[in-house]
Amino acid sequence: MIKYIVRRLVLLVPILFGLSLLVFVYVRSLPGGPEIALLGERATEQSSEAIRKDLGLDQPLPVQYGRYLKNLASGNFGSSIITRQPVMDELKQRFPATVELGITAILIALILGIPLGFLAAKRYQGFLDHASLGASLIGISFPIFFLALILKWIFAVKLGWLPSFGRIDATIDLPHPTNFYLLDAIIDTNWKAFVDVLKHLILPAIALATIPLAIIARITRAAVLEVTNEDYVRTARAKGLDPSVVDRRHVMKNAMLPVVTVIGLQTGLILTGAVLTETVFAWPGVGSWMLNAIRNADYAVLQGGILFFALITIFSSLLVDISYAFLNPRIRYQ
Amino acid sequence: MALLSVRDLEVRFSTRKATVHAVNQIGFDLESGESLGIVGESGCGKSVSALAMLGILPKAGRVTGGSVEFGGVDLLKLPDQKLRQIRGKDIAMIFQDPMTSLNPVLTIGRQLTETLEKHLDMDKDVAKKEAAELLERVGIPRAADRLGDYPHQFSGGMRQRVMIAMAISCKPKLLIADEPTTALDVTIQAQILEVLKNLTAEEHMALILITHDLGVVAGVCERTNVMYAGKFVETAPTAKLFSKPRHPYTLGLLKSVPRLDAARKERLEPIAGLPRDLRTLPPGCSFAPRCLYATDRSRAETPELHTIDSDDHLVACWNPVPDADIPERHSLEDPGAS
Amino acid sequence: MSILEAEALELEIEHPSGLWRDAFDRLRRNPGAIIGAVIVALFLFLAVFASVAAPFGQNERVTAPTSTPDGPSSEHRFGVDKQGRDYLSRIIFGARLSLLVGIVSVAVGLSLGLLFGAMAGYFGGWLDTAIMRVMDILLAFPGFLLAIGLVTALGPGLWQIMLAVGITNVPQFARVLRSSVIAQRESDYVLAARSLGARGRRLLLRHVLPNSLAPVIVQATLAMATAIIDVAGLSYVGLGPNDPSLPEWGKMLADSAARLETGTHLVLFPGFAIVLSVLGLNLIGDGLREALDPRLKS
Repeated sequence: MIKYIVRRLVLLVPILFGLSLLVFVYVRSLPGGPEIALLGERATEQSSEAIRKDLGLDQPLPVQYGRYLKNLASGNFGSSIITRQPVMDELKQRFPATVELGITAILIALILGIPLGFLAAKRYQGFLDHASLGASLIGISFPIFFLALILKWIFAVKLGWLPSFGRIDATIDLPHPTNFYLLDAIIDTNWKAFVDVLKHLILPAIALATIPLAIIARITRAAVLEVTNEDYVRTARAKGLDPSVVDRRHVMKNAMLPVVTVIGLQTGLILTGAVLTETVFAWPGVGSWMLNAIRNADYAVLQGGILFFALITIFSSLLVDISYAFLNPRIRYQ
Repeated sequence: MALLSVRDLEVRFSTRKATVHAVNQIGFDLESGESLGIVGESGCGKSVSALAMLGILPKAGRVTGGSVEFGGVDLLKLPDQKLRQIRGKDIAMIFQDPMTSLNPVLTIGRQLTETLEKHLDMDKDVAKKEAAELLERVGIPRAADRLGDYPHQFSGGMRQRVMIAMAISCKPKLLIADEPTTALDVTIQAQILEVLKNLTAEEHMALILITHDLGVVAGVCERTNVMYAGKFVETAPTAKLFSKPRHPYTLGLLKSVPRLDAARKERLEPIAGLPRDLRTLPPGCSFAPRCLYATDRSRAETPELHTIDSDDHLVACWNPVPDADIPERHSLEDPGAS
Repeated sequence: MSILEAEALELEIEHPSGLWRDAFDRLRRNPGAIIGAVIVALFLFLAVFASVAAPFGQNERVTAPTSTPDGPSSEHRFGVDKQGRDYLSRIIFGARLSLLVGIVSVAVGLSLGLLFGAMAGYFGGWLDTAIMRVMDILLAFPGFLLAIGLVTALGPGLWQIMLAVGITNVPQFARVLRSSVIAQRESDYVLAARSLGARGRRLLLRHVLPNSLAPVIVQATLAMATAIIDVAGLSYVGLGPNDPSLPEWGKMLADSAARLETGTHLVLFPGFAIVLSVLGLNLIGDGLREALDPRLKS
């Protein structure tokens, strides 16, 4: 098992290098180049020259790449041209917001999607099966920002049940040691704040969860249908085990394997969705931050955001491979 | 009173297009400790009969008639919860393919102990010890060390031993083995049959051995039923069936078994034609279209089982094979080609 | 990559003959696929005959510009927009644009993906490793974010956007085709063709490619749906085509998104146009996937 994890980690090295190179080339290929980006419209011949020297852009490219790698390794992502803050500092505040939203969405998708898929498979070709298949297909066909807009319009604007933007009511005073607001509220044992944070989370998390929910339900259904016809399930039934034990121990344990793989693929979807959902709900996370960076040509922030998203995707796929190996003895014992 | 008494068992499968008459009113008795072979081509309904008796038919299948009395109780009338207390405990089953019949994500130990915990109320530690002893009995070396292993770490023959260990774990009164050796190498087949034979004898278990291979029943079963198109066409003590096959289909099966002692010039004779399509059941003998002995009556009227030669030999045929057509060479001395 | 695409990746095609006819038969019996086909046919019709089907021109002013445009009425069934243009006509002309976006971006992804995937799968060795590593790195970026990055670099024109969305499809198509080609390469009939002296390019074009197509077709249908959603998303985040006269659904929706209260119809109609067209494609893709999956044959 440990050998397997180490091997996976070693395989990551070339990908990370390729990734850093790609981002390096990418940021340098953006229209105008970094100096224009940093100086904006006010760039003059001399100031450009000074900036270029300052940033080391007059050095040969390999030297620049080396410096850039060194900076990345030490967590130095440069500074935002708008706020003048180091990108890393801002990232530390914004990334918990995106992660909190993303994890809530994934949890909603799992908690609803797995039982729904399971029930649909049990009622194969029945009403629930057809209804959930149809609903999931419709769910997949919704652009996430459109869904978010509709949710916001109905539940925040029209009905006024839930707040329509932000992470917490401005009148609530809550210290932020972790920047995961739910955690912060628990640490502070401030239950009023906890409920308020939860209320702010509900709409964006539901919008973000819809597509992964549909996907997880579909995959669970397909996996349960397939596993139910396996010989070892017949063996389990022949043993006289209770149906609930057969389902739990024999069907679900095997059906979870493809589901775990698919959960891994969701990370990308969640991050993509986060960019759009955060925009709709003015959620102060990495997604909306990056979009602002694009509008403002704030390339240091953009670079930081891209790297952050890519790293999250890579590491969550690593995590999925490891948990897959954990669930599947055939891989674990290779 | 017989241990198991099956009467007029009938199983149908409904597909979108048609209804398949998989098992058509079969019946037999089985005493405790007795061993019975059920022989027939694939698709003739032998496995389905077994699954129906245990109440674990696939979704499309359903029992449409008959009774399965086990120890005086009709299993087909039992609520599922009661049936589950018998399944795995008093009646256990071994399946054809040991590669797919064990759960790949559970350890062998867990798959053994779950039956013990369910039926014998053992706690975890006791069940584990018992599981190790069971593995030992079916001939798995270093049994205690292997409880934590997963199925993929065992060979095919070893997996089938594990399946047997699972099946006998609650000392069932009846063991049903469905093609237990078909998926295995020839040398392993003989070993597995040996294990089955010894265990059933030691524990005084009744055995139903389902197979397409007459060689397999020859050495193991006291009686043999030959099944064709969802019906028994001949039933006799195994020795008699081999020496005096009366149904043309039985004769055909015997002629198609390869033998090492057969003279070179003798050729294997396959049975001509294809198994019956079970979606329609016209009157007449199901085997008639493939039968050399078929008469006009065979094609018009369905034959029922009736005694022939002696009280324990029954055949469903209007025109049974005459003595003159029975080759000499079929005897019990050389079971199978192993 | 959407889930449907992920599922499509699992398609393995083993039996070249009879597959297409069987698949068509099963497709015809699938009510979902029929509904999808009807929806897509409707949009195709509107796209092709937009100038006839639409009551007004796409940029024709029918009322004076206003900040509180009228909703649906008997004269303007979908209402008018702030520039005083008939909204139904703009939605209909938008179908043409969405169709274009779907076809061009899938064509880009398909042609590059097929090229790389077939090369990697057929020649194997270091070329395979190199190509697939690059694809892995591209896959590390969620597709839509990659599109955002590419549009930022390429500039916000309609063609650049279609190119960007197309490029995000390349890794998926490359993967599908690669695994398909590898499976085909080792299959008996290709070995047979090789033993008869067919080799190289001819073998690839005549034998391997045609039989690898089924999963690619499914993937293409679903990728088209994703492309429409992605382009709408780009418009929503302000990276859409910068020409305000273009009736792009995502852009029309985005322009009014902040004013759901006063201009509900301005958001809902283009939104549901997107949902419906994407749903149609997904239904077809899903039906195709099921129809072409040999494991479901029974």
